[in-house]
Amino acid sequence: MNKELLRIEGLKTYFDTWAGIVKAVDGVDIEVIEGETLGLVGESGSGKSVTALSIMRIVPSPGKIIEGKIIYKEENLLEKSEKALREIRGKEIAYIFQDPSTSLNPVLTIADQLLEVILAHQEISKKEALEKAIELLKLVEIPDPDVKIWNYPHQLSGGMKQRIAIARAIASQPNLLLADEPTTNLDVTIQAQILELMQNLRKRLGMAMILITHDMGVVADIADRITVLYAGRVCESADTKTIFYKAKHPYTQALLTAVPSLALRTDKLKVIPGNIPNLIEPPSGCRFHPRCEYAIEKCTEKIPELIEIEPGHKVACFRALEINLESPLGGAKNN
Amino acid sequence: MQKILRELIQEKNKTKGASQWNIAWRRFKKNKTALAGFFIIGIIIFMAAFDSLIAPYGPNTIPGFYSGETRAPPSSKYLFGTDYVGHDVFSQVVYGASSALFVGFAAALIVMLLATVVGVVAGFYGGIVDNILMRITEIFLVIPFLLILLVFLKVITALAPSGGGGLFMVTLMIGIFSWAANARIIRGEVLRVKEQEYIEAATALGATKTRIMIRHILPNVLHVIIVLTTLMIATAILVEAGISFLGFGDPNAITWGQQLQKASEAVKEAWWEGVFPGLFITLLVLGFTLLGNGLRDSLDPRLRE
Amino acid sequence: MTRYIIRRLLYLIPLFLGILIIVFAATRVAGDPVRLMTAMNPHITEEARNNLTAYYGLDKPLWHQFLIYLANLLKGDLGNSYVIRGGIEVTSLIGDYIWPTMLLQIVSIILALLIAIPVGVISARRKYSKTDVTVTTTSLLGTCIPIFYMGIIVILIFAYYLGWFPAGGYVTVISESKDYFLGSRTLDIIWHMVLPVAVLTFALLAPIVLLIRSSMLEVLKQDYVLAARANGLNDRKVVYKHALRNALIPVVTYVGIYFGAMLAGAPITETVFNWPGVGRLFVQATNRLDFPVIMGITVIITLMTLIANLITDLTYGYIDPRIRVE
Repeated sequence: MNKELLRIEGLKTYFDTWAGIVKAVDGVDIEVIEGETLGLVGESGSGKSVTALSIMRIVPSPGKIIEGKIIYKEENLLEKSEKALREIRGKEIAYIFQDPSTSLNPVLTIADQLLEVILAHQEISKKEALEKAIELLKLVEIPDPDVKIWNYPHQLSGGMKQRIAIARAIASQPNLLLADEPTTNLDVTIQAQILELMQNLRKRLGMAMILITHDMGVVADIADRITVLYAGRVCESADTKTIFYKAKHPYTQALLTAVPSLALRTDKLKVIPGNIPNLIEPPSGCRFHPRCEYAIEKCTEKIPELIEIEPGHKVACFRALEINLESPLGGAKNN
Repeated sequence: MQKILRELIQEKNKTKGASQWNIAWRRFKKNKTALAGFFIIGIIIFMAAFDSLIAPYGPNTIPGFYSGETRAPPSSKYLFGTDYVGHDVFSQVVYGASSALFVGFAAALIVMLLATVVGVVAGFYGGIVDNILMRITEIFLVIPFLLILLVFLKVITALAPSGGGGLFMVTLMIGIFSWAANARIIRGEVLRVKEQEYIEAATALGATKTRIMIRHILPNVLHVIIVLTTLMIATAILVEAGISFLGFGDPNAITWGQQLQKASEAVKEAWWEGVFPGLFITLLVLGFTLLGNGLRDSLDPRLRE
Repeated sequence: MTRYIIRRLLYLIPLFLGILIIVFAATRVAGDPVRLMTAMNPHITEEARNNLTAYYGLDKPLWHQFLIYLANLLKGDLGNSYVIRGGIEVTSLIGDYIWPTMLLQIVSIILALLIAIPVGVISARRKYSKTDVTVTTTSLLGTCIPIFYMGIIVILIFAYYLGWFPAGGYVTVISESKDYFLGSRTLDIIWHMVLPVAVLTFALLAPIVLLIRSSMLEVLKQDYVLAARANGLNDRKVVYKHALRNALIPVVTYVGIYFGAMLAGAPITETVFNWPGVGRLFVQATNRLDFPVIMGITVIITLMTLIANLITDLTYGYIDPRIRVE
């Protein structure tokens, strides 16, 4: 039943810029099981978007995947030809970008942008494709789809645009949806609607989804499992409940206390001290150690491995079993 | 996506505590084409500064005339050959450097003064002021400016047959008719800067408009002005060469354009007469263009790969 | 769209008037043209001067003269030349010279665009490859070489040393010993056009290639291009359908400006290649202070520039729906 859909092993994606090599993703391991929602959480610059772009192998220049494996349905995507990849992009794995006003092409009509995707992966006539496109717009709850389809992106609201971006992503019923902060750029009132829509569609079409976000609050109700990234590496990975109540990594803990919507329940809103480190010359050892209140000397010297401390619960911290973190939501003791 | 990358890089700059100009300087030093441009300009400035030492013959001497060596090919005696009356082409090229540099710098100065005033005022005040200034700018943008330049220069020479206003007049005319495009770019930049928070803060704190313009807006568009000035020098040198080539330049000055004009009458017989002055125009223009592009790359806060 | 066109057209009228005023001022800045033309003539009497001034209507106030000129312009009358062919009508004079100019300019801009777009795109896609470095270096040089210098070099190599093409002129003057190229007048004109068109095309092409390349590089990084790739579209579609149209938006405006500058530069190109167009005529007219011809040519070139600008605007509106609709 818990069949693995995607497994990333030791992924490294670097950007060769004038300032030096930016190690945006530096040894990331992730698993996604068929039909589940995985929350990929971290601050901006933690490498979550670059990880997602790497899965599709569309990292923009000067970024390059240096090493690692991306196993999708038992095949390594990094070994596939560009042509074979085109059969996977959009058809097997689809991507929803953060900002619909930049991810939809401003000079093409909605019809144009939906049709080309449908026709790229399905052997049907243009007329059928148009009917299908209108069907899709109905699916994502766009009013007057047969009128709106002839509009240009700038004629629609932000929420509408994101619905269209979603329609485009699910046009060929992919097995995996990569949603990169799909609600961050929307009004608060629209955010919940879009999340609900995505969750419904995911269930209806039986897709798996990686939901990328910086906000623990967003994944709390949606994700089955959560993987926390920090400075290009995985800190902790477990099912949602474990992350929220039995987190073992100090960074996960810090993230939880920094979420306003969660803090409201506990009046413990805290700001994580310091900034995300520079990824050209990252800190030695555990990358979180300069900001970590539990850091010991070992943390500054060695990089902690991601270790499975309980079935399905992995942590990359030397002190995971020594220190006793209290969840801001009450913690393991009260649960 | 680009935003993420920019954040990653800015982080590094923050940690090193470098100022914007320091970063620019570091990038500039790494930019090979910009340094090449700098080098070319340096050589030609050197040539102009020590022209009488470098040139084997005086500016008004015609060594070839008396020895019957007019339009003589390049030799050890005349490095670049001689021209139609017997000038040493190499010496003339050396003396031409200061004219080209003068026109370039002076015209660019006039252009950038006009463009900055128009651009900053239009962008800052907006509304009707902006509207009027931009309509005038558009006129100067569309006007066939070489034609107007030629007419003005001809009329001025006709008024004073002894040689008109000379190189200065040519420079002034180029300056007056080339500011429009730059004014538009500067205005755009001012509009961008005006949106930023600290300007709003300064306004809220009751700073006067002139003060905001000079203390807050101008320093923030300075990098654009520097780049445009460098590129304008290149353009002005090209325009002066064209005017001189058509015979509308200052007849009393030694310019590369005029040398080419005389040479074009007999390219077949004496290629050296035109090829060398032309080469130097190209070199100098290239120098300023490379420098300008290099400056743009190093001063532009946007991400450079 | 129709409203957009009409608005753009109305917009050009004040622009044209403004330019007209400046040109008119330029021809009058020195005062009475008759006085200027006769300044070198010691034998002319004051009376003869006054007669001439009255004859050309130059005794009226400046604004009055300008209004008369404007009224005549609307009737399609550009006045008569002071010197050429016993005072020939400027319109018919320009009529003789405008076609060679248009031929040269229009062929060159079309060729320049046809070459610049694919070259710029390829250069951007293979950033820092050998092809890209060659293209950018050549284009950069192209923006730095004065056009007349390029002309002289090309004439030197292809006309004098290799002898493949004529050094200048529009068409062979036939005589007993000389005939048209391959016996056809059309082919002969084309044969004469090769060198000037090559130089003009290259001069126009160079900055456009650089612009398209940098604009394309910018666009290729945009999310919608990533999105197109993420949707499994092939490279051709991603580049030519999604990226190029967006990349052309900032380029279009500049193409209009470059074309205008090239038109205004006609005196230079036409002088180098001895091309019988309005540019060379302008140089001759200016040297002889033939003001009606000067005015006439400036008006025509301004009109052509404005038309080019209008085409630019329309293309802009066509490419970018955000402008068209509002």
